[in-house]
Amino acid sequence: MASYIPIFLMLAAAAGLGIILLTLHQVLGPKHPTEEKLSTYESGMSPIRTARERFSVKYYMVAVLFILFDIEVVFLYPWAVNFRALGVFGYVEMMIFIVILLVGYYYILRKGALKWD
Amino acid sequence: MIEQILSNMWYIRPEIALTITCLAAILADVFFKRKALVAGVVLGGLLASGVLLMEQYGVSAPAFSHMLAVDPFSVYFRGVILVTAMFVVLFSLSSVEINNPRLRVGEYYALIVAMTLGMTLMAGSSNMLMMYLSLELTSLSSYILAGFTKNAPASAEASLKYVIFGALSSGLMLYGISILYGLTGSLDIYAINHVLMTMGANRLALLIAGVLIMAGFGYKISAVPFHFWTPDVYEGAPVTITAFLSVASKAAGFSMLMRFMKVTFIDSTFAGPVGTWALIPGFEFTNILIVLSVLTMTLGNLVAVWQKNVKRLLAYSSIAHAGYMLMGLVVLGNDGFAAVLIYFVIYMFMNLGAFFVVMLVSNKTGSEHIDTYKGLGSRAPLLSVAMAIFLVSLTGLPPTAGFIGKLYLFAALINAKMIWLAIVGALNSVVSLYYYVLIFRNMFLREGTGSTEPLKFALSDNIILFLLLIPTLVLGLYFTPLVQFAQYSVAMFGVR
Repeated sequence: MASYIPIFLMLAAAAGLGIILLTLHQVLGPKHPTEEKLSTYESGMSPIRTARERFSVKYYMVAVLFILFDIEVVFLYPWAVNFRALGVFGYVEMMIFIVILLVGYYYILRKGALKWD
Repeated sequence: MIEQILSNMWYIRPEIALTITCLAAILADVFFKRKALVAGVVLGGLLASGVLLMEQYGVSAPAFSHMLAVDPFSVYFRGVILVTAMFVVLFSLSSVEINNPRLRVGEYYALIVAMTLGMTLMAGSSNMLMMYLSLELTSLSSYILAGFTKNAPASAEASLKYVIFGALSSGLMLYGISILYGLTGSLDIYAINHVLMTMGANRLALLIAGVLIMAGFGYKISAVPFHFWTPDVYEGAPVTITAFLSVASKAAGFSMLMRFMKVTFIDSTFAGPVGTWALIPGFEFTNILIVLSVLTMTLGNLVAVWQKNVKRLLAYSSIAHAGYMLMGLVVLGNDGFAAVLIYFVIYMFMNLGAFFVVMLVSNKTGSEHIDTYKGLGSRAPLLSVAMAIFLVSLTGLPPTAGFIGKLYLFAALINAKMIWLAIVGALNSVVSLYYYVLIFRNMFLREGTGSTEPLKFALSDNIILFLLLIPTLVLGLYFTPLVQFAQYSVAMFGVR
């Protein structure tokens, strides 16, 4: 347990520093609130309306499918780098992997998951 | 390395067959859009997987650097899972709920295969990482299947509850695994056992890790206090999926729990009589299992008494049955495990049978309420007699198979001098008689309030009913082959 004491000290110091800085800022900082300053920060744009709206589930479908095939590409990179070392076995294995994903791609195509209208 | 992987492919041929079946089911669905064709593809794939599995009979070897163990134990459980999956596909063909034109059934069958694949991997996993991955494959497929009848609010609710409980318990389990990994420096359960025996570990940390991992298993086999999802999910899910979850998912959970406990926490150098084991010091899991077992069967049986929905009643009854089977794990010895294996095959036939009758009744009447069964004895005599036999078997009365299952469990307990636990189990069986008899009474001794027209069932339905009914009766009278097979299948790779 004794070997953990430095970690606890570190935790206490970190929490203490945070608390002190936030309090000092509250006490010492000047406050001149205007309407612009109090509005939501949207990377410099002035906010138009509430963000809590319903939007089409199609965005969600496309996002999920994008992630799926994006990860496929991530797997392809290390394979491509080691292509010579892995040889025929690696090639066949990667083809099986791609075929499985192609079946999935064909499935989403036929089910119309990529149709926007 | 590559040669080793290629040569190990032989060990996962049943699983490869299932993977191909899953893809073929998806393609058959999008190409031909014929429900019966998809079901045919899936049945053929499950059958092919079963044939490939039979070739592994008698093999005992590690595969993929101890990721999987192929041994009689895993072959036995994979067999139970595959047979259950085939029955569930057959059920689905005649289920009105599933064949609703608004549902796309192709995904349904593909997901059943994916779930079967996860469960067969669970039965063989001998690495904590593999255990977790196969558990998640099973769980993710079952979440979707539980909510498959999207238009039924209860089904969506069931699915959501299942996801939340599943996420919680797999989080607990992962935490336990991480502690165990920290203690022993390995995820391979054989290596963990070796480290625990040679170097030992901090008792408290080991206890916490063990209990957390057990929470994950307990969720899968719906042991109290991890059972809260069971009644709602079983009630809300389509009947076919309820039947699947109550048998196959439980079998997979039990096989993984049994393998984990036996390989990790049993002294592999113990030199006592054959078939007896010794715990390694530091983690006495039997005490935890005794508590779980007593709680599970008592709560399951007591709460079932008040249920009015037959599906929910059978859900509590399946919780109670998990409690009975946990008794077999408490006995440190081969006869306890053999009793669990025997019980599982019998449980498969009687529980699937009971759920099949519930499905057929709800096909015709659209209701699963216990009052629907009033006067069923005169409207559908064959069905009612079959249900009565399944219920007698679930209670554990002779001459049905359920009696043999309980007999071996209690015998194992009494041989291990745990008579009080056997008495608790027997008392619980008496309680269970009460609620099973409620259905029986409604079927034969109460007048129906609504229609009195006889219910007609298709020939195929009757054939499936007999496929389940005959083993339930025959295994009660002629059980030697099953018992011998189970006693042989207790053997796991690498442990005595």
